[in-house]
Amino acid sequence: MFTTVTLSLLDGFLGTLRLFALTLLFSLPLGLIISFGSMSRSVILRVPIRFIIWVIRGTPLMLQLLVIFYGPGIFLGRNLWGSGSGGRFMAALVAFVINYACYFSEIFRGGIQSISKGQYEAAAVLGLTRTQTFFKIILLQVIKRIVPPVSNEVITLVKDTSLARVIAFYEIIWEGERFIKSSGIIWPLFYTGAFYLIFSGLLTLMFGFIEKKLDYFR
Amino acid sequence: MAILEVKDIKKNFGNVEILKGISFDMEKGQTLSILGSSGSGKTTLLRCLNFLEIPDDGEITVNGNVLFDGSCGNLSDSELNKSRLHFGMVFQQFNLFPQYTALENVTLAPELLDKNRNRQDILEEGKVLLEKMGLSDRMNNYPHQLSGGQQQRVAIARALALKPDILCFDEPTSALDPELTGEVLKVIKELAEQHTTMIIVTHEIEFARNVSDEILFMDGGFIVERGAPAQVIDNPENERTKKFLSSIHRKA
Repeated sequence: MFTTVTLSLLDGFLGTLRLFALTLLFSLPLGLIISFGSMSRSVILRVPIRFIIWVIRGTPLMLQLLVIFYGPGIFLGRNLWGSGSGGRFMAALVAFVINYACYFSEIFRGGIQSISKGQYEAAAVLGLTRTQTFFKIILLQVIKRIVPPVSNEVITLVKDTSLARVIAFYEIIWEGERFIKSSGIIWPLFYTGAFYLIFSGLLTLMFGFIEKKLDYFR
Repeated sequence: MAILEVKDIKKNFGNVEILKGISFDMEKGQTLSILGSSGSGKTTLLRCLNFLEIPDDGEITVNGNVLFDGSCGNLSDSELNKSRLHFGMVFQQFNLFPQYTALENVTLAPELLDKNRNRQDILEEGKVLLEKMGLSDRMNNYPHQLSGGQQQRVAIARALALKPDILCFDEPTSALDPELTGEVLKVIKELAEQHTTMIIVTHEIEFARNVSDEILFMDGGFIVERGAPAQVIDNPENERTKKFLSSIHRKA
């Protein structure tokens, strides 16, 4: 029984991992773009973007999942996501990417704005272009400062993926819960916790390693 | 011919007039010190020369090339970058790049500005500059491993690496512990002896007297007195200059 449960939980965990990895892959760069928008001098850009960030951070991810999954069907009259598990995954991914990109953008904005004006001025008097200044001077200092808050978000994301079950996205808790109905046993549900713990433990180690790697400067 | 001609520079921040029309010129190889109380506009003047602030009006000419002319409208980023390279800048707060070693701080800009140049040459030049600053054993240290005085000397080497026509110092020792100011003032004095063209904004009156060919005294956005150190510091004519100097002497 243990092996059966383990195998089937692993299968569910694969779904969790897929959503986790792809969300990170898209939301980190999108978050950077949004953070530039939210710092833009142009009001036309800044105000709408800050409004979106407010809405996304101010409403539950669970609700956003539902709106993104059912919204197109209701408002456009057709189901954008198609039927089947592929469509549900896409809808979940879009909701997660938008949500996490907004959170990341605020972390990036904080990191970028915490770099002293003197760094920009020193780069300017040395004749560096804006692009050179950002990539050669600013970026690494920002990364160093945002590793702790980003690691927080990433670990939250591991656990947030379980929210996607609200649109019937197949992940590990879904799988664990199935055993209650099919076999009348509850321990597989608790067992899923071990998967989360081990995975977030690995992430903690990885972020600790990155922090150490960036320890050579202040 | 003057290496630098500044004509009627004006700068406002909001409704506050910081520079109300500054004009002066200087010869190549000269050291010019700018004295004045806080708020007199001396740092703003230096920042205008480096285009960290864009003057509202006036004209800046280096070696006969007009870099800025109040009527020339908005300068593009690339024009600004080119104009800036005539000036070097050493900041009060050093502003070294923390993720780079002392040597990398010095060589970064030369490498980025001219990708065709031999890296080895740039590296050698960087090492020579740091040796001149007395930092031959500190080249591979990161800024946080250096004392304030050492950091400021790296910053001077970094500014010199681009061979600016005029090197500007914005209160280079104001952020330093008193026991560390000497080592920085010493290298600036050496640069003066080698006829590096320099503009120094400073509160170190004695140092300004020793090192400068000429002194400008600024007050309320104007240059109120200008002349040789002996004249401006020892025999000031202007009331404001007298008051400022006597307040400094009282403190000392």
